[in-house]
Amino acid sequence: MYKLSTRIAWASLKRRKGRSILVVLMITVSLWGLLFMEGIYDGMTEQMIGNAIRSSSGHISLFTKGYRQDPDIKKMIGTPEAINGFLQESRLVKTTVQRILQDGLIATAHYSRGATIFGIDLDQENKHGNIGDYLQEGAFSFGPKKKGVILGAKLAEKLKVKIGKKVILSAQNTENEVASIALKVSGIIKTNNMGLDETAVFIDRKKADDMLLMHGGTTQISIMLHTEKSINQMQTELAQRFPDLEVFRWDQMYPALMQSRVMMKGFNLVTSFLVFCVAGLGIFGVILVSVLERLREFGIMLAIGTKFKQISQIVMIESFFLGFIGFLGGSALGGTTLYYYYRHGLDLTIFSQGLDAFGIDSIIYAIIRPGYFLTALISVTLATLLSVLIPLRILKKSNPIETIHKI
Amino acid sequence: MFLKIAVKNILAYKKRSIVTFLLTCFSTGLLVFSTALSDGSHNKMIQNAVEIYHGYLQITQKDFRKTPSYDNLIFDAREIKKKLASIDNIAVFGERFESFVLFSSREKTVGAMFCGIEPDKEKKLSRLEKSLLKGQYLAADDIAQVYMGNELAKRLKVEVGDRLAFVGTGADYSFAADNLTVKGIFKTGLYDFDAGSAFVGKGYFDKIMASENYATHFIVLPTSPGDAKEIAAVIGKEIGSNYESLSWNDTMASLVQAMEVDSIFGYITLGIIFIVIFFVIMIYTWLTVFSRIREIGVLRAVGTTPSQIFYLLILESFLIGLISVVSGGLIGGALSYYFHLHPIVYSGYEEQFRQYGLAASEMPTIFSPLIIARDMTIMFLLAVLSTLYPILKVNRFKPVEAIHHV
Repeated sequence: MYKLSTRIAWASLKRRKGRSILVVLMITVSLWGLLFMEGIYDGMTEQMIGNAIRSSSGHISLFTKGYRQDPDIKKMIGTPEAINGFLQESRLVKTTVQRILQDGLIATAHYSRGATIFGIDLDQENKHGNIGDYLQEGAFSFGPKKKGVILGAKLAEKLKVKIGKKVILSAQNTENEVASIALKVSGIIKTNNMGLDETAVFIDRKKADDMLLMHGGTTQISIMLHTEKSINQMQTELAQRFPDLEVFRWDQMYPALMQSRVMMKGFNLVTSFLVFCVAGLGIFGVILVSVLERLREFGIMLAIGTKFKQISQIVMIESFFLGFIGFLGGSALGGTTLYYYYRHGLDLTIFSQGLDAFGIDSIIYAIIRPGYFLTALISVTLATLLSVLIPLRILKKSNPIETIHKI
Repeated sequence: MFLKIAVKNILAYKKRSIVTFLLTCFSTGLLVFSTALSDGSHNKMIQNAVEIYHGYLQITQKDFRKTPSYDNLIFDAREIKKKLASIDNIAVFGERFESFVLFSSREKTVGAMFCGIEPDKEKKLSRLEKSLLKGQYLAADDIAQVYMGNELAKRLKVEVGDRLAFVGTGADYSFAADNLTVKGIFKTGLYDFDAGSAFVGKGYFDKIMASENYATHFIVLPTSPGDAKEIAAVIGKEIGSNYESLSWNDTMASLVQAMEVDSIFGYITLGIIFIVIFFVIMIYTWLTVFSRIREIGVLRAVGTTPSQIFYLLILESFLIGLISVVSGGLIGGALSYYFHLHPIVYSGYEEQFRQYGLAASEMPTIFSPLIIARDMTIMFLLAVLSTLYPILKVNRFKPVEAIHHV
């Protein structure tokens, strides 16, 4: 029975080729646009989140209690060894790094700026967050004598310094004295994590320890896990084990980014909803007309003993074909487009100045999630099936015998 | 006659008319309102950024933007003042000297901007005075009194009346240091600015920083800020090639572009929605036109020319389009006008605003009849264009074919 209904449905779609193609095209094009939009927008937000996690927060960051409210260098993690021992043994943890943070002033011969000093281990940082990839100029190294300094790109631009130029770094040490050291710019880094690019001054951790009299203490421990799924578990575990520490997830350190992610999701949802509602209206119109103009045909079918169920089956299958072909077309086009931008990235360098202001990368790599296609399939199916309901009711209410007698 | 028939047809084919009307009306309203919303919030953000401190027009020594060092200062501020005084259409101008120093309170040392301003003129040039949170704004003859951002005060743990010291480099590269008293604390809402700037009167600043008659830049407020670009050019000519006079469009290029990028993303999303909408309009026109194919065939058979039929059908789209676009425009316009008078307040997004360096506040929409008319025209053209294909298609049938069309 299905076979027959399918054949009749297909035949009637073919008979009205023009409008069938229009409907399929409509679904294809709208789906294509939606998929493209979702993939690119998600790619953009995830890249921003990734930049923040890689360059700063990790999945989880540890500070002493109260440090985040009042960043005072004396509130340091005095003996990080015990924590590191625990972290190294945990199966959930991929990598960890220690950082010494302190606000200070960076000065060239002509100019000075407020800055945040980051005492880091370059090799470990690179394993941790691949931050070597962010290097914009110079070398990802502090030089053999560790006399080098790597600057955030915007800070370097404001200071108008180039690779090899001397800078003086001043900051308050743990004994409340202002300590200064002279360093040479060895690299410039652009993470698109705006806070970092504007203020970060990376120096060797040992050097920072000497300058600020940390005696092996550290300010922040950033932890990268194997999978984002275990963040909450790890957070509870750490909080229980080290009650003197404050344990932050990345989204607690960068609430704005989490907000962007949630907002982007809501935004995509609303847009999709709107698009599918309108598309459903389009399908509805076509099905309604095709049912109304075939009332006579259906009347005859009913008169010779076809069950109403089969007729409604035919109409259903028709609309399903329209929706499904449109879905296939849209998914194929959208998927290919997204795959292309997933591999090559969407180059928005012409807007780089504006994107920089939002901390968005100039090249956006699309994201492809199976969920996009699944939601699209469900929406298309719903839109097609719902748009069949009213025409079928009209069909049922009309008296087929009378219809046959009409011209 | 055509008009009569067209109106009759519109009323006769209600389904198509209603769907087309609703969709076009909705799209127009959506476009008008979202343009008003995004343009309005962008203007407000730029206006905030410009008016809080940055200024509509800046004058610097010609190399200062590229190399902002003490070698590229304005070394004869009096001359600039004399010249600016002779130019029309300037409401007020003032000089500033920005430097970066280390501030030390009892507990904390923080690097931040230390800037000498003319307090009385600055009242009109920026929102510094209006942003007063605690204590008092500066007076011209203050000595060693500082006016600082609330976040900076928090970082230094100082309150109004507390003492703190600064260490910096004077304009002659000498070592400069003094003790200051906090006279007032301000909050502009621009987080970075509030967390990294402190002001003193220029008179005091010049003595301690050896910057008498020097300035890093001048800020000019034109009588009508919209003309900043033109006035910048006039000033540029007057002060000569040794100086540079730029309006905010140039000095804040990245913010301006950021707003453009935001608009572009918005238009892409709207574009996707509109594509679907006009597909649906096209489908409905298609259905109506084809359900009338026999009628059209008969009309042709009795001697109506294809161009007359085309004219009739297009006239129908035209009328529906016009009515829907006008109603959509009115609805969108009314909404824009309402939210222009009662700005939308974004609460709960302070964190995001803070990260993007924007001052969180209320965002009025723009109410500009010209922009609304532009959006309405776009929508009208789209609505009529989307009916074009079905109309042309149906007109290609021969009369006999059309009459026999099932």
